[in-house]
Amino acid sequence: MLLTVTDLHASYSGIRALAGVSLNVAEGEMVALIGPNGAGKSTLLNCISGIVQPSAGQIRVEEAELVRRPAWAIARMGILQSPEGRQVLPNMSVLENLQVGANALHGRRPTHDLDAVFRLFPILQERQEQLAGSLSGGQQQMLAIGRALMGGPRLLLLDEPSLGLAPVIVQQVFEALAQLRRDGMTILLVEQNARKALQVSDRAYVIEHGHVVTEGPSRELAQDNSVMAHYLGTGGH
Amino acid sequence: MDTLLSFRPLFDLFLIHLGFAYSQYIVLRAGAFSIGNVGLSAIGAYTAAILTVNYGLPLPVTLLAGALAGLAFGTLLAIPLARLRGVYQAIASLAFVQIVLSANLYAENVTGGAMGFSGIPKLVGTGTLLVFALGTIYVMLAISRSRLGRAFDAVREDEGMAVSLGINAARTQAIAYMISGLLAGLFGSLEALHSYAVEPNQFGFHLIIVILSYVVLGGRRSVWGPLVGVALLIALPEISRPLADARIMIYGLILMVVMNFMPRGIVDTLVARRARRRSRAANPEVRQAEVKG
Repeated sequence: MLLTVTDLHASYSGIRALAGVSLNVAEGEMVALIGPNGAGKSTLLNCISGIVQPSAGQIRVEEAELVRRPAWAIARMGILQSPEGRQVLPNMSVLENLQVGANALHGRRPTHDLDAVFRLFPILQERQEQLAGSLSGGQQQMLAIGRALMGGPRLLLLDEPSLGLAPVIVQQVFEALAQLRRDGMTILLVEQNARKALQVSDRAYVIEHGHVVTEGPSRELAQDNSVMAHYLGTGGH
Repeated sequence: MDTLLSFRPLFDLFLIHLGFAYSQYIVLRAGAFSIGNVGLSAIGAYTAAILTVNYGLPLPVTLLAGALAGLAFGTLLAIPLARLRGVYQAIASLAFVQIVLSANLYAENVTGGAMGFSGIPKLVGTGTLLVFALGTIYVMLAISRSRLGRAFDAVREDEGMAVSLGINAARTQAIAYMISGLLAGLFGSLEALHSYAVEPNQFGFHLIIVILSYVVLGGRRSVWGPLVGVALLIALPEISRPLADARIMIYGLILMVVMNFMPRGIVDTLVARRARRRSRAANPEVRQAEVKG
């Protein structure tokens, strides 16, 4: 296993966000975390990347324990997060944003150079001289993912990449994710758009109230009407 | 020729203050709001003056010692300042400048106290100043284009995001303090060995305001910002010399006008405007409102 999370607990300003979550991600696997708003999905991702400190539990990448490591050190190990809400550095150019991403390499071998990122997201090449803040929402999302790729991810953490995007742009983003999966990238994807997430991933965990309520191969979960109806309402669109 | 020669002291002042401005610029670029560099310049100036007059050491040694003294104290200063942010950082660094000033006042037998330290031979001329100023610009450009420069920008723009991209923010800012200290110490030494005498209040609140004005007026991000700021604010009082008494007022007025209409400073505002025009031309569907700043 590349990533092993064991019995993780975390609280956010007094509210229990994670109540004993365990999950794992194998090398080359794409795993989706789905569940309703406020289920603890983002908190889990933020615990892995070191932005949030869990109150108990373990997070291991191979043999290394991540808990209590500073966020910058975790990023340098190649555990890279594309944050929720398309966070780019708005006053820096697209190219500079991508170059900043390479800081996480810190001597490790890159997985993607600029050309590879531009092949995945051709629009970024066209807009490379522009300020990142002037991009559309979908382009900023692509930039945030591209920036993480520049850091040579061993594990790519994606937080709600489809949030607030138009359906046609969501389609483009998910096509890029499918391409990354074919290339063998290890990805942990947090998504509210459950149907899309189950289409693109190998396995999935359904999280509710800080617990894993069910897990399994994505294809089986997608066909399990009780999962779709009970945990995900209409099951996305 | 005579008129050109009469501008030489002004040009020397420009070169020295350019170095001071870059020692201020580099910390602001890294997102640290420290004005401690003025204190570090004082340390460099006194180190060079004392080593030259009392110990008769040669110029290269005294300059190196002044620069290293600035570097050493800059590194020390980085430790407490790393725990502070924004205006608290500024206040703490101002306290540091006051401490250096007081130390220079009270350590009379070493520094000459309030009377200052005089009888320094003039070992530094326009040529030496020009070499160091050009060298500084070159180094600033090299840093600007390096990974370190982009790390400075990321930490300044969004420290939390920089950290999640694998940038050790505290370490990055510490490097900025060290470069700042080195420059402050070096140009403080050059100032001492150029102007026959140094006195404690020369490196006080007035100099802080002047240097901060250069960088704020010219720009905090582009390497050319401080250059434009220093050139403008040094040339301005001379050009407006006939207006004699109104000079300080004009200085203040220009600062207020620029701050209101070009809050990022002259160079950075122009650069941003050009980038925005390009963005609009290439991407007409994106509304102007989405562009921040």
